[in-house]
Amino acid sequence: MTANGWLQILVFSACVLAVAKPLGVYLVRVYDGSLGGLRAVERPIYRLCGVDPAEDQHWTRYATSMLLFSGVSMLLTYLVLRVQHHLPLNPGHLAAVPARQAFETAASFTTNTDWQSYAGESTMSYLAQATQLAFHNFASAAVGMAVAMGLVRGLTHRSHGRIGNFWVDLVRGTLYVLLPLSLVLALFLVQQGAIQNLAPDVHVTTLEGASQTLAMGPVASQEAIKQIGTNGGGFFNANAAHPFENPTPWTNFWSMLAIFLIPSAMVYALGRMVGDTRHGWSVWAAMFALFLAGASTVYWAEARGNPIHAARGVDVATTDTSPGGNMEGKEVRFGVAASALYAVVTTDASCGAVNAMHDSFTALGGLVPMLNIQLGEVVFGGVGAGLYGMLVFVVLTVFIAGLMVGRTPEYLGKKIRAREVQMAMLYVLAAAASILVFSAVSVLVRPGLAGLNNAGPHGLSEILYAFSSTTGNNGSAFAGLTGSTYYYNTTLGASMLVGRFALMVPLLALAGCLAEQRAVPESAGTFPVSGPLFTGLLVGVVLIVGALTFFPALALGPVVEHFLTGAGALF
Amino acid sequence: MIDLAYVLGTAAFFALMLAYVRACDSLGRAGTTAGAAAATSEHVP
Repeated sequence: MTANGWLQILVFSACVLAVAKPLGVYLVRVYDGSLGGLRAVERPIYRLCGVDPAEDQHWTRYATSMLLFSGVSMLLTYLVLRVQHHLPLNPGHLAAVPARQAFETAASFTTNTDWQSYAGESTMSYLAQATQLAFHNFASAAVGMAVAMGLVRGLTHRSHGRIGNFWVDLVRGTLYVLLPLSLVLALFLVQQGAIQNLAPDVHVTTLEGASQTLAMGPVASQEAIKQIGTNGGGFFNANAAHPFENPTPWTNFWSMLAIFLIPSAMVYALGRMVGDTRHGWSVWAAMFALFLAGASTVYWAEARGNPIHAARGVDVATTDTSPGGNMEGKEVRFGVAASALYAVVTTDASCGAVNAMHDSFTALGGLVPMLNIQLGEVVFGGVGAGLYGMLVFVVLTVFIAGLMVGRTPEYLGKKIRAREVQMAMLYVLAAAASILVFSAVSVLVRPGLAGLNNAGPHGLSEILYAFSSTTGNNGSAFAGLTGSTYYYNTTLGASMLVGRFALMVPLLALAGCLAEQRAVPESAGTFPVSGPLFTGLLVGVVLIVGALTFFPALALGPVVEHFLTGAGALF
Repeated sequence: MIDLAYVLGTAAFFALMLAYVRACDSLGRAGTTAGAAAATSEHVP
């Protein structure tokens, strides 16, 4: 580990902290409707769609709107991918996307997962990329933010289960937040060297005399919303390791910051909206503690390198001429520290963009990104998804604290009763069941095992990571697993849908339950939801729930691999 | 044929989720009734 590496992590942390308040205040104004600079654009959209923006929807109507919007847009994307060869903006004359891949891709982008079992530059037409995938990059992110705001309104309102208007939240999140931020980041990326064009591929002769095809396309615009919306689906197969997507260390740094930008600000917005900024900062501190622990662990594991290399005399020390550590699967432009930090950021959030291959990390270095996803990506998390996932853990924390002191638990004046806990548990159990059941089935059936390229515990890690990533709507791959088969395209696509919508429904039900209650005044027996005690308890609950649920599977995968690697075994 | 399977499968999933919304709503209402009954009987000596 180097001072430079730690400095990168510290500067990044400081920037995440610095943007939380100003952007958080802006988000509050967007979602409470007090910001109205784009009403001239909003009104025609509502009129065209037949939406009454003044309607305050009951949670069931809010959830139904969300499901119908997602379902219809997913089927439309499936259709476009299947007929892209008949549509314009296809200079490479790319064929129709196979049915199994079209299903998985439509599910992937609708759910903000952006898992890709194809090389984007050689599979998707420009029309498919720009109108379908990019559309979902904005829409799925806006849906996540809308659902989070619905839950926060449940905490603040006493409105007979009414939690706002889904369509208004969707439009305002896109118009006021995602579009302007993406525009600024796209211009920055172009300035730094990311490409943005509609030109066909370029064929060049290399210095060695070989011929090479350079894929072109509207990369910078896709890249911007890929990070801002925590989508993660790259224009190129190599994702953010490709120099046309991520050309400089500056773009690498700003890409990571873009991933945490909205999630960090939403936590501050939570504090403002519930009238208790100390609570917002306490939740933020819990997320930051988990982030710092993960980043430190991965950096340590990767800088330490592979013990087998060291045992065989390979120099793994950091010197002026060598980055040292484990450089397998990492871009030499970024090195160990920026790769480790990127891996943690992208899996803390539900982004899934990668600038290094997680499959090539050491066993412990690969364990942390996988665990980040399995914990529910609540460490800042995806846009909206991170906040509402963490609020479920807050509800569980308050409930457990209430059990300990023997009083009816309250959260911000709302009582946490049996039905609130039931909804929170449905949320937690659906995610765990999807990851563990799909993984268990895949290690038992022939089509599941046929996709493996590595044996032993590393093979199990590849399957476990795949279903964690898709259920968690992350989208990053551990690699090493051949996912482009009927079996994996279908099961991974199904796990994405379960991981998104089977979690959102009980979450919105929880919002509705809370919105039906009148807030009771704080009393001497109310458990405080701000301060170090609450932050520590929240971190503990997140880790305990994650450890109890996933430790057995992790023990058979990366943990066993770590000990066997120490004994000289490779997989 | 395979297109039909994927399209119908997707439609069925979202239909299931809509039913899940109704189920959660019913569960919530049942919880309210049970909670109210429990609250009433809780303080009876």
